[in-house]
Amino acid sequence: MGVINFIIQNILTQASVTIALIAMLGLILQKKSIGQVISGSLKTMLGFMVLSAGSSIIVSSLTYFGEIFTKGFHMQGIVPSIEAINGQAMNELGLGRDIALTFLAIFIFNILIARFTKWKYIFLTGQAILWMATMTTVFGYFAGLRGAILIIVGGLIGGIFAVAMPAIAQPFVRKITGMDEIALGHFCTIGYVFEAGVSKLFGEKGEKKKSIEDLKLPTQLEFLQDTYLSVMVVMVPLYVITAAFAGEEFASSLSGNTNYLMYAFLQSIQFVVGVYVLLSGVRLLLGEIVPAFRGIAMRLVPNAKPALDCPVLFPYSPNAVIIGFITTTIGSIIAMFVLPVFGLAMILPGMLTAFFAGGTAGIFGNLTGGRRGAIIGGIFHGFFITLLPALLVTIFNSMGFVNATATDIDTVTVALLYAWIIGPLLKVF
Amino acid sequence: MRKLNILFVCGAGLGSSFACQMAAEDVLNRLGVCQCNLDHGDISSAASAKPDIIITAQNFQSQFEKFSIDPSQTTIVYLKNIVSKQEIEEKITPVLKEKGVLA
Repeated sequence: MGVINFIIQNILTQASVTIALIAMLGLILQKKSIGQVISGSLKTMLGFMVLSAGSSIIVSSLTYFGEIFTKGFHMQGIVPSIEAINGQAMNELGLGRDIALTFLAIFIFNILIARFTKWKYIFLTGQAILWMATMTTVFGYFAGLRGAILIIVGGLIGGIFAVAMPAIAQPFVRKITGMDEIALGHFCTIGYVFEAGVSKLFGEKGEKKKSIEDLKLPTQLEFLQDTYLSVMVVMVPLYVITAAFAGEEFASSLSGNTNYLMYAFLQSIQFVVGVYVLLSGVRLLLGEIVPAFRGIAMRLVPNAKPALDCPVLFPYSPNAVIIGFITTTIGSIIAMFVLPVFGLAMILPGMLTAFFAGGTAGIFGNLTGGRRGAIIGGIFHGFFITLLPALLVTIFNSMGFVNATATDIDTVTVALLYAWIIGPLLKVF
Repeated sequence: MRKLNILFVCGAGLGSSFACQMAAEDVLNRLGVCQCNLDHGDISSAASAKPDIIITAQNFQSQFEKFSIDPSQTTIVYLKNIVSKQEIEEKITPVLKEKGVLA
């Protein structure tokens, strides 16, 4: 008994070990050699530790930013970043093991649903599943679920979304790519369909509908496709202007011997460093797990359709990606100023999501409503994906998250499902 | 024999480059080319990685043209559908022959 207790209390509570064991299971099921099993498991563990390191970099930068923002503007400024939420939940809140097990449970439920229903989608975007597992765990925990129930409910809901989201996007994806072999696996799908609807309503119709791809965009905008660079372009002015508003006296008290504006500049880069490190960790973490899942799922589910990350669609409509990014950013800036009027928190523009979700939404908008549809739909999309995370801020604050809220609108929808339906139901029974 | 390094690139180096890598792995296995190291990464670090082949999506072409990547060392392959095995096979076969790993 002593040995088993030791294993449960000291080894399985370590999230890095749990996730490495999941990878090991996948490698063994694929009948890899012992060498590959060991190196793959260790690499996965390394990935988790790198992710944690990235998370602490983000947290320290966000803590600084929160202080100068509160001083400068007398309100709380929230950075929307699912990466920051994941990092903090894994480390500071100690939910890492539950998240890792939910991650595995979502895979299993996804395979079961795809195997026994007519929706044959296998969701292969590993980081999106990780974000989904994070949100079901955090909000399930908040709703009062614990242990195995927390993981099974999270796995079931995540599994349903992993099949349902590619399914509702598929009619559009078929038109965009001109084929039916691939599906879209990205948990921002509700936003894409929302933009497609708005664009259909307000966009160009029939003969007048002109695709944005017929335009020639200025080449200077192309650097925006470099993800980390475009995050920096926004974070630098955000930090430096905020530090200027906070004033030299206050900001200098945080910056030590460095000039306060220089310090703000360096901290803004530091935020991007954190995101970069965290995502490198995710890359290592998923490098072994996703191919294993793919191999197993494709064998168990006949005619499986892989649901892949959104940039798979980018080459089909590159102009719409840029326009979608810009209009979504404009929409989220409008929401930043409008939401506090209604008593909600001020949500700063989240550049990672504005690029990936905004870009993909732009493709959807261009498809249903041409140029005008893509532009109007994009602004609505930006507002929409800022509004929903704003509703989560009080819950995140009460759980001890630092100045951050989630992105990726499908995971936010799941969180609201927990907060508004599952939680109250649990209290009744 | 020296192993061929192939790097798959997208904006964040997470999702679509990885999907492309997995599709390409199937193609390489079918072609019987095993002596390759496959990895995926983001565009910011791709310029300094110096692999033998870079495989990326068409929409990154104008950016790669601004990088100073030595064409004698690194061949860049652009794909329209980055998970299409047919397109990958079509475009990668001449490159593999040129690099001497495919007869």
